[in-house]
Amino acid sequence: MDPQLTEVTQLFGRFKAAFIRNDFGTCTNLLSQLKVLLTKFPSLPPSFQQTPNAVEELTIARDIYEHAVVLSVKTEDQDAFERDFFQLKPYYTDTCGIIPPSPQEYPILGLNLLRLLVQNRIAEFHTELELLPPSALENPCIKHAVELEQSFMEGAYNRVLSARLTVPHETYVYFMDLLAKTVRDEIAGCSEKAYDYLSINDAKKILMFSSDQELSEYITEEHPGWEIKDGCVFFQKAKESQPCKEIPSLQLINQTLSYARELERIV
Amino acid sequence: MTNDVEMKEVQAPSNSLSSATASSTLQHLKEISSLIETGAYAKEVRRIVRAVRLTMMLRRKLRAAVVSAFLSYALAPGSEAHSRLSSFLPKDEEHDMDVDTATSAAQGPAKYSLPELEIYCYLLVLIFLIDQKRYNEAKACSSASIVRLKNMNRRTVDVLASRLYFYYSYSYELTDSLAKIRGTLLSLHRMATLRHDELGQETLLNLLLRNYLHYNLYDQAEKLRSKAPRFEAHSNQQFCRYLFYLGKIRTIQLEYTDAKESLLQAARKAPVAARGFRIQCNKWAVIVRLLLGEIPERTVFMQKGMKKALTPYFELTNAVRIGDLELFRTVAEKFSGTFNSDRTHNLIVRLRHNVIRTGLRNISISYSRISLADVARKLRLDSQNPVADAESIVAKAIRDGAVDAMIDHANGCMVSKETGDVYSTNEPQIAFNSRIVFCLNMHNEAVRALRFPPNSHKEKESAEKRRERQQQEQELAKHIAEEDDDEF
Repeated sequence: MDPQLTEVTQLFGRFKAAFIRNDFGTCTNLLSQLKVLLTKFPSLPPSFQQTPNAVEELTIARDIYEHAVVLSVKTEDQDAFERDFFQLKPYYTDTCGIIPPSPQEYPILGLNLLRLLVQNRIAEFHTELELLPPSALENPCIKHAVELEQSFMEGAYNRVLSARLTVPHETYVYFMDLLAKTVRDEIAGCSEKAYDYLSINDAKKILMFSSDQELSEYITEEHPGWEIKDGCVFFQKAKESQPCKEIPSLQLINQTLSYARELERIV
Repeated sequence: MTNDVEMKEVQAPSNSLSSATASSTLQHLKEISSLIETGAYAKEVRRIVRAVRLTMMLRRKLRAAVVSAFLSYALAPGSEAHSRLSSFLPKDEEHDMDVDTATSAAQGPAKYSLPELEIYCYLLVLIFLIDQKRYNEAKACSSASIVRLKNMNRRTVDVLASRLYFYYSYSYELTDSLAKIRGTLLSLHRMATLRHDELGQETLLNLLLRNYLHYNLYDQAEKLRSKAPRFEAHSNQQFCRYLFYLGKIRTIQLEYTDAKESLLQAARKAPVAARGFRIQCNKWAVIVRLLLGEIPERTVFMQKGMKKALTPYFELTNAVRIGDLELFRTVAEKFSGTFNSDRTHNLIVRLRHNVIRTGLRNISISYSRISLADVARKLRLDSQNPVADAESIVAKAIRDGAVDAMIDHANGCMVSKETGDVYSTNEPQIAFNSRIVFCLNMHNEAVRALRFPPNSHKEKESAEKRRERQQQEQELAKHIAEEDDDEF
């Protein structure tokens, strides 16, 4: 066996042991060493050289990055998640035919979809979704994320929150918690427009706060425009667009002049 | 030629007719080749464009015998290009071929060296192979032509080259191996950019976009598109394609307004003959308009020759228009095969919330006050807590401006606001202005698109000037002569 490959395998073994012990400090250290070692494999993306060890190298590299992604979720580091995920992605898209698909593929792709949803990057969410074959949409992990996005777009926020109870994988909980925060902000934005006022109890229920204290803290922090009086929350109304009273003369003159100029050119 | 006819008579009378058309096709091909020659010598790209167009008209009449006869006419028999190209041609019509080659060899002129002609032969053979469904030979032939093209740097070849690129990619697409040529296409695109071959750049950019979109790689496609150099379109067809791909990318990335514009423009600009392309454009445009909350007019679906293909989308539109979730679901299931093969399934999933919106809007128009429980029932929301769902859905619709209403939480009902008079705002003025601007732009573009032969304007002027100048000179001479007379 190739000495480099042996070294990586051994190091990865230690990483996995630390990973199971939830010793994240050691994991991060080992991971950076592993990533440096991986750069010496010629068969990895983007070069994809045909070496005799290609299959083993690709498999172990993919495994390492999969662990890296999960590790970044556990350490709650979204930037690291994004970096590791992009390193992992070529293994899913460009290695079919070289190594068999990973059982972790859909859970991790679903996780990424969830992350994009939490960060409100809906365009990227859909771009990623298009890459999946129709059969993948049946996978519980992917389906979960897709249904969440749908409920989110519709405004059925209750369904988004209840989905936390049916997460397909333990790593999803972290993002679901983040999503709850995004949902609260959305609800607040909607309530502002949809209601004149709400009683404090109703507001608490709608915005999912357990105490009046939390509610008033949230209001002073996020929406200082709202007013609490007589046991009700009053929302500040944005001014409605008034019917126009005066003629926008300058704009009209400009437009008319440009028509005249254009017509002159035609005639 | 007499030789030819005699032979046919012995074999079968019906063949004589086909051989007559074959020889006339050959004659046409020879005319085209002379067009290319004059184009190449005079460096007039226009002539070569015309040659390519004429070839497309002959496409159906091409036979192996004709093509091979033409090869022997245009290329030196025994030269490398000739032997390579002939090897791609099927040999089953041997008897036909003998005769034609014999006749053409007799008059075969010695102008072999022209690279334009060689590339043209590649193009001809490639088109023939694709039409004959010999895709593997077509692949081999196109790859060989690309290798040859890379070593050529002549502006007059560009037109032919861009056609070759297209068929190169097409032959790989037909054999479902587009991913393989992505690297080649990228390097060709770089080469075309360095050589300022704008037509080639345009074609290759489209091929690359097609290549990416074939595998749903929208991210890469958008990155390439936004970074590739843009310039005024040279070919209408390529521009249509570009608009279509652009529309697709933008749809996926939720930029519906821009997507709609590109897709409709592509559908409008496409030639009438390109029915399949226009159907695709219309399908996507329908979905984008639905996603925008617009309802496409019935005439869109009733266009000539598209009615059948657009039926699933018509029913879909109907479901969205009524705002009936149940109907929407049945339509989506009924045509799921079509939507999957059109790869619009994910977009249709997105439409669900538009259906709800439309339903909600209908409710808000019909009722000035309605309880949330009734809203949930009318929208057929099936969940554990329909009232709470309905409330948050209505709240979001209000925030997004889809309905103009308020929620009365204490009484659990939705209260619609009075709709204001739109004519008291600046809205009509803005709409009127945008239409005028559109018309003026169209006129300007039409004027700009008029084509004039290059420099004809200048030449005419100089001719006039020359006449004027001569006249002046003559007058001057006369004057001097008169003066001379006076002196004496």
